[in-house]
Amino acid sequence: MSKKSITFTINGEKKTFEIEPGEKLAKLLRRTGYVGVKEGCDEGTCGACTVIMDGHAVFSCILHAFLAEGRDIRTIESVGTFDNPHPLQAALVEEGAVQCGYCIPGMIMSAEALMQEIPDPTDEDIRTRMDGNLCRCTGYEKIWAAVKKVAQKK
Amino acid sequence: MKLTDFRAAATLGEARAILKELGPVGLPMAGGTSLVFTSEKDERVAVDINRAVPAGIVRENGTYRIGSTTRLEALQSFRGDGWVLDRVAVRLASQQIRNMSTIGGNISRVFPWADFPAVLLALNASMVIAGDAERVLSADEFFDGQPARLFQPGELLMTVNVPVLAAGQGFGYRKQTQTSAGFSLMTAAVWVEADGSAVKTARVAIGAGVPFPGRVTSVEELLKGRKASEAAFREAAEKGLAELKFKGGDGMSEEYIGHLAAVLVGDALNEAWAAAKGGAA
Repeated sequence: MSKKSITFTINGEKKTFEIEPGEKLAKLLRRTGYVGVKEGCDEGTCGACTVIMDGHAVFSCILHAFLAEGRDIRTIESVGTFDNPHPLQAALVEEGAVQCGYCIPGMIMSAEALMQEIPDPTDEDIRTRMDGNLCRCTGYEKIWAAVKKVAQKK
Repeated sequence: MKLTDFRAAATLGEARAILKELGPVGLPMAGGTSLVFTSEKDERVAVDINRAVPAGIVRENGTYRIGSTTRLEALQSFRGDGWVLDRVAVRLASQQIRNMSTIGGNISRVFPWADFPAVLLALNASMVIAGDAERVLSADEFFDGQPARLFQPGELLMTVNVPVLAAGQGFGYRKQTQTSAGFSLMTAAVWVEADGSAVKTARVAIGAGVPFPGRVTSVEELLKGRKASEAAFREAAEKGLAELKFKGGDGMSEEYIGHLAAVLVGDALNEAWAAAKGGAA
């Protein structure tokens, strides 16, 4: 099994990567430094690994890396910083929506995609578009409240 | 499946040529989400067909033509007269999966819990396969066994044609899961055409909880020409499904799944009838 190279845009920067044919995007991103992408279930269930591909939230743990060829990929590393957080990150803190925090990068990427896709989402839109992100700490209400606070203001 | 290599195709011709060259080892791939359910023992070479096979939904002469690489998210978001697949798509898995999976991938290899085969059977859809000669197969032909059997190396599913629901026609859909994103335990999809207060004709299909999705012609026969009522629908569902073999599992008996099927088919018939008569369903 030989490695092959693929090229895609990652957080605004075009990069080329050497990959194994069956390698998944989450593994590729983490081994190349994008460790904000979390691995949870590794089977497309929990949402911790969510990244945005061409504007849509996807599970990077089951996305074959070669399918990212020529695409635009965004990870949590493109959303705010500790000193200058994204409004959603600030809202999550204000609402007390973060406990262990493991699901939060994926939650933010799903919410970011939602806000791009649906400029003025209803409560139902938010729950539907975030239905692939599991949180085992907070019970979701505070996370949804934070998303609503930002998304419905846009 | 274990991928030993991958190729990318820019055009349909290129995709077909690569798949012909690869033979049985070639695996057309668009979303790739279903590979998580396949055996690692099976070694294949993936061919990215996203740029070679069209995506999108177009209405033409009473038919919605859906490119086979159309993401389920597009089905979920699309709105149009006589369009019902948004209600099916939104119940499938989770948003990230709907953003990745395609209609073609969902139906080309049918998993026991698949949602769309029963729906496309009920709606009398047809599938267009590109090969040396283009072929159009009815849903009844396409789902008369694993669709993979129909594809020769180099052949690709191009389009799913779904008739637009007309006045006097209605669609009903029910899917039972344990959790919102869970696999279906039982799926019921129903299309009815009204003739005044009677059922002119009906197409009833079920999936999950049975060995393979398929139409339930016994229920359809019981409904033909019958005066519509909730009691009539429930009776047709119970009687028509009585002789069918169901699959238990996940702690549920075959009897329970059979009962669930009758309830869901009855519910879907009620919903379809209300829609056929101009109701909100």
